[in-house]
Formats: sequence, structure tokens, C-alpha cells
Amino acid sequence: MNVIILSAILGVIMMYTGVMSKNKSTARYVATAGILALIGANWLEFAGVNFFNIDTRGMLEFTSFGLVFNLIILVCTLVYFLLSGKDLEEVGANAADYFALIFFILTGIAIVSAFKTMLMLFIGIEIISIPLYILAGSDKKNLRSNEAALKYFLMGSFSTGLMLMGIALLYGATGTFYTDGMYLGLGNITVMKMAGLVLLMISLGFKVSAVPFHFWTPDVYDGSPTVFTSFMATIVKAAFFIAFLLLFENAFGRMHSEWQFAMALITAATLIIGNITAVFQQSVKRMLAYSSIAQAGFMLLAIFALNNIGKQGLILYTAAYSLPTIGIFAVLMRMKDYTYEGFNGFAKHQPLLAALLAVFLFSLAGIPLTGGFFAKYYMLVAAMKNGAMFWLVIIGVCCAAISVYYYFRIIQAMYFREGADPGIQVSEGFKTVLVLTAVLVIILGVHPDWLLHLLDN
Amino acid sequence: MNITEILFWFLTALAILSALMVVFSRNPVHSVLWLILVFFAISGHYIMLNAQFLAIVNLIVYAGAIMVLFLFVIMLMNMNSDSEPQKNKWLKMAGTVAGGSLLLILVAALKNSEVQYQKVEGAQGTIGLIHNLGKTLFTDYVVPFEISSVLFLSAMVGAVVIGKKD
Amino acid sequence: MGPASMIVLIIAAVVFSLIAIFASKFVLKATRNKQKGEPYECGVPTQGKTWVRFNVGYYLFALIFLIFDVELIFLYPWAVAVKQVGWIALVEIIIFFFILFIGLLYAHKKGALKWT
Repeated sequence: MNVIILSAILGVIMMYTGVMSKNKSTARYVATAGILALIGANWLEFAGVNFFNIDTRGMLEFTSFGLVFNLIILVCTLVYFLLSGKDLEEVGANAADYFALIFFILTGIAIVSAFKTMLMLFIGIEIISIPLYILAGSDKKNLRSNEAALKYFLMGSFSTGLMLMGIALLYGATGTFYTDGMYLGLGNITVMKMAGLVLLMISLGFKVSAVPFHFWTPDVYDGSPTVFTSFMATIVKAAFFIAFLLLFENAFGRMHSEWQFAMALITAATLIIGNITAVFQQSVKRMLAYSSIAQAGFMLLAIFALNNIGKQGLILYTAAYSLPTIGIFAVLMRMKDYTYEGFNGFAKHQPLLAALLAVFLFSLAGIPLTGGFFAKYYMLVAAMKNGAMFWLVIIGVCCAAISVYYYFRIIQAMYFREGADPGIQVSEGFKTVLVLTAVLVIILGVHPDWLLHLLDN
Repeated sequence: MNITEILFWFLTALAILSALMVVFSRNPVHSVLWLILVFFAISGHYIMLNAQFLAIVNLIVYAGAIMVLFLFVIMLMNMNSDSEPQKNKWLKMAGTVAGGSLLLILVAALKNSEVQYQKVEGAQGTIGLIHNLGKTLFTDYVVPFEISSVLFLSAMVGAVVIGKKD
Repeated sequence: MGPASMIVLIIAAVVFSLIAIFASKFVLKATRNKQKGEPYECGVPTQGKTWVRFNVGYYLFALIFLIFDVELIFLYPWAVAVKQVGWIALVEIIIFFFILFIGLLYAHKKGALKWT
């Protein structure tokens, strides 16, 4: 509850910072201080200190899983603010309002990591989605940004409509909004309930850009201002996954066998299409959009498997995917040329940045000693432990191998090609944060247990 | 057939016919006007189910405010029959087939489901009365209610950010 | 009959006003001329079509109106239930409206309500 209320208040503070302060950078400093406060509040809640004692009638339940997830999200947001805060100010004239919207999104994320009723799920998802539509279109003068926002809005609201329809059908079948009440007993799964389940699966699949509901992803990620693509593809995507997992675990966990095959098909399609399409991209930004689909495929394995290892894996994956992607985007934002050729000879001119980028790419590809390795490992083990459908694990391994190709293309361009100076300028502070992020990624890859131990609280 | 049934069938026919007219009208402004009729017919259904609050919301928000927004959008775009884009024939066909398939499957699936045997509560239900709804909203559902104000707030910021001239 | 009577009432109201309109047709001697078809019978004649492109500025107002319209909706159940729920309902609605007032103040400070 701490985070939900505090981040809403911080959103309001950010709204007024933009009005009160003429200085552009004030918003960034206030936002960074705010996110630190949020991390503190989340930690205190983790330690059992609640600022607000509100009877939610069981609509929200703050588990250690949700709180650890929130912690990771908040740390990722902090890194995002530190690395990309300056670029965020460059987009349009409403920097403080963008920060306000991001804080509102964090409110939504805190809700979807704790919901126990469909009502809360819906409100949370909407609080995340509506600011996102605006952020996607924040570069008002740019037609591609407008297109991205419109496309995202139309498709997104359509999928929200499907979700409402699903919730309505489930309410009709069970007479309750509570996720615990969704179980009617095996063999009692009526058509109405199944229809509701399928609609929810489709709409959440859309939100996490699972194939075949992924068509919006490349256009929206490519068209939006790169700063916000970075936010959408990492933090928000992970948040939709937690909603997906919690819903299917709490509400439909006991009828797992009924929907597992459908989920397996979606997962397999996401893995295959995401990875193979990413191979053919020429623009790094677009490649990262497809790579986010491909990584979503791995995260879907947690929902497919629906066991403890999968949950741990999702926590790990959130960190091991978000941090590197934010780092790569932060560097990419400063490039003029978004194609692979733009990275030619990068290592010669910016040796430190190139090395850090290489670490991040290793993590995305899942090379040992980086966080991405354990994340993928946990996901595959979870799928294997589940026992059913071993072919999915094989597809996962093959796709992990394919992904190495397109991530390494950047490394190859950076180290083994000659090219002109990309002419990017970064401050010492930026470099420090980026180094710390890389260190965090490596620590996750060497000793992931410190993160997972938190879950046992 | 008693009067309730007559009303039900009348409103149903009205809703479906006007919904079809929304799709088939060439002029977008006419579509919007037909859509208002759809909302009125559906509000009538809500009243027959004794869901007064829903009926009021439907009229005030949908038939009132949202339709005004729709009209604004149409007026902003300066649409007339010359500038109306020609839709791809195949796209139309594909849309029809996809929508029809969904309808077929849902009808086929739901026709044998439990819905058939559960009678709609109809006018006897009291949950939709404003009084009961208010009581539930301000006791059991306070938290979602208050959180929804955050949603409004973000919508407000969004409207200002997107709509205001820089 | 319950709710059905309400619909009957609505239909009766519509029919009644229709009768009033058509009754005047029979009673009055209808005259038709071009002047009568004008939106303003006296004053400056209108120019061009009425379906012209609107200023985008209206849209922001319409959006903000919509947000407050939705908020207003919550006042109906509140007003009916406040007596039974007690003072806590008062606190709840005050919090709700305070948050929305913050939004309105923000729009005002931002200059979104200014017509430029």
C-alpha cells in the first residue's frame, strides 16, 4: 500500500513541479528523489512497516513476491531516470508531466502486483495503459510518434474491451470478482467460464505482445520516442507479466491442465516468430522491439509452467532483462544512426561504452556469468519441472541459440568493423551509472540467490 | 405477451436496427446519431433489468458526453463523402469473415452452456438500484473507487499534455 | 409492472410531444419560404456549409468535460447512500473530489483552460 499511495502523491507533486518551476532540470531531480523515497517505502513495507492502514476487503494482498517485484521495478526506474532522464527532457515541453505519468504508471504496477480481484486488475492495467498511450505520442510534431500513439491506443483499448468482456463472463459464471472464487471444481468448467478465460488470455497476451497478438509492438516501439520505448519495453512489460502470472495462478491455477496447451502454443509461437523476425531487422531499435517479443516468449514459460521456480525465474528475468535493455537504449538514444552500421568501430572511439554494451548484450543473449543466463535457465528448468510438453523446452533452447546471432551482430559491428566516430558525448555520471548497472547484471549472473532469498521472507 | 415482453422485443429490435444503421450509414454524422439511438435502446434494457444506475450512466456519459466527443472528432477531420477513404475490398471481406466466425463460435459454444437454464433476474433484482449500489460502492468498494481517481488524474494530465498547444 | 411502467411513461411523453407538434400542423396554415429555412430568421445570412472544420481547441475542453462528467456520475449513488453509510462516506467523497480538484487546478495552472 505504501508504494501505491506514495507514487500517486509523487505523481501529483510532479504535475505541480512542472507548473511551479521554470527550470527544466528541477523535475528530474525531484523525480529521482521521489523514486528513492519509493524504494525506501517499499523496503519498509517489506520489513513490515505500513504507513497506511487501509482495509481493502481482501482486494489487495501484499506478498513478498509482489514486493520484491516492486523493488526490482523501482530500482530499474531509478536506473532509467538516471540514465535517460536528460533525454526525457528533450521530448516536447512537458518533462515534468512525463515524470508524473511515469509515477502514475508505477501506481498501476504496484496495484497489479498485489491484486486479488478482477476489479483491481482492471483498474491497475488501465492506470498503466492510459499514460503509456500518451507517452507514445508525446513527440507531437513527429508523425511516426503520432501513428504509434494512435495504433497503440486503438489496439490497446480494443484489448482492454476484450478483458472487460472476459471479466464480465467470469462474473456471470461465478458471481464474484475475487480471483480465489474463480474455481468451480474440476470437470465443472463451463463454456462461459472458458470463454472468459480465453478472452483474458488474449487481452493479456496482447499487453505482453505475445504472438499472435504482437503486431502492434514493432510499430509502436519504433515510432515512439526512444526514451519511452525503453520504458515500455522493460518496466511496463514486466508489470504486465506479473499481472498475467498472478491472475492465472490465483484464479485459474487449479484448472491448469485446461489451458496449458493453449499457453504452450502461444509461448512457442512467441519464441519462434520473435527470434526469427529479429534476425532480419536492419535497425537496432526495431531489432530490440522484436527481441522484446522474443524475451516475452521466455517469460511466458513461467506462466506455462506455473510453479515456484517459474515465479523465481520471472523475478530474475525482470531484473536481468530490464536493466540491460535500459542500458542499451540509453546508449542508443545518443546515436544518430540507429542501424547496425552506426555501431561500426564503436569500440575504438568509446571503449568503455562498448565494453558495457557487450555485457548488456551478453545478458540479453543469456551468456553465463551474466544475469540473463540464470534467468533463462530458471525459465527452462521451470518448464522442464512441469513435466508436460517437453518440446517447448527444446524450442526454448533453440531460440536462445538463435538470439545470440542478432545480439552479437552489434558486438561484431562494434569490435570488428571500422567506422567513423559516432560522436556521442556522455557525462561522467552517466558512465558511472552504466558501470554500476553492468556490475549489477554481472552480480545477478554470478550469485542470483541474494535476490531470490528475499522471496523467502 | 405482456407489456414487459413487448417492450423488450421493441427495444431489442430498435437496438439491433440502429446498430446496423451505424455501420451502414455513409455519413459519419448520421452514424453517430444512430449510435445515440443504440445507447437509448440499451438504456431502456437496463431500466427493465432494474439497473437504474447503469441506465443513467449510459445516458449521461455515453449518449451525452462521449457522443459529443465523437461529433467533435468528425468535425475536426472535416469529413465529407469525397474525402472518405475507399476501404480495401479484401479487408472488408476478411473483417466480415473474422467477425462472423467469432459470432458463430460464441453462439455455438454458449447455446448449450449454463446460461440457458439461468433465468435473468429481471425486474426483481435490486442490486442495480442506485441506493444499493451507493451503499456497496462506499463501503465494500471504497479502495477501487478512490484509486480510480488516480486514473482520472492521469487522464487529465494526458489530455493537457496531448491537447495543449506547445 | 415496475420498470416497465417507467418505459411506458417515457414512450407516453414522446408520443404526447409528437402529438403537440403534429397538432400544430393541422391547426396552422403552413407557409414555406426560403427565409423560414434559415437558422436565424433575422440577422446576417449564413455563409457556406454548416459542417465546417472545428478548432482543435474545443477538443481539450470536451475531454476535460468528459472527465468531470464521469466524476459527477459518482455523486448520484453517493447522494442516495450517504445517510446510511454515515460520515465515512463524506470523507471518502471529499478525498475523491480533492484529488480531482487537484487535476482541475493543474489544468488551470497549465493554461489549458485558456482560449488562445
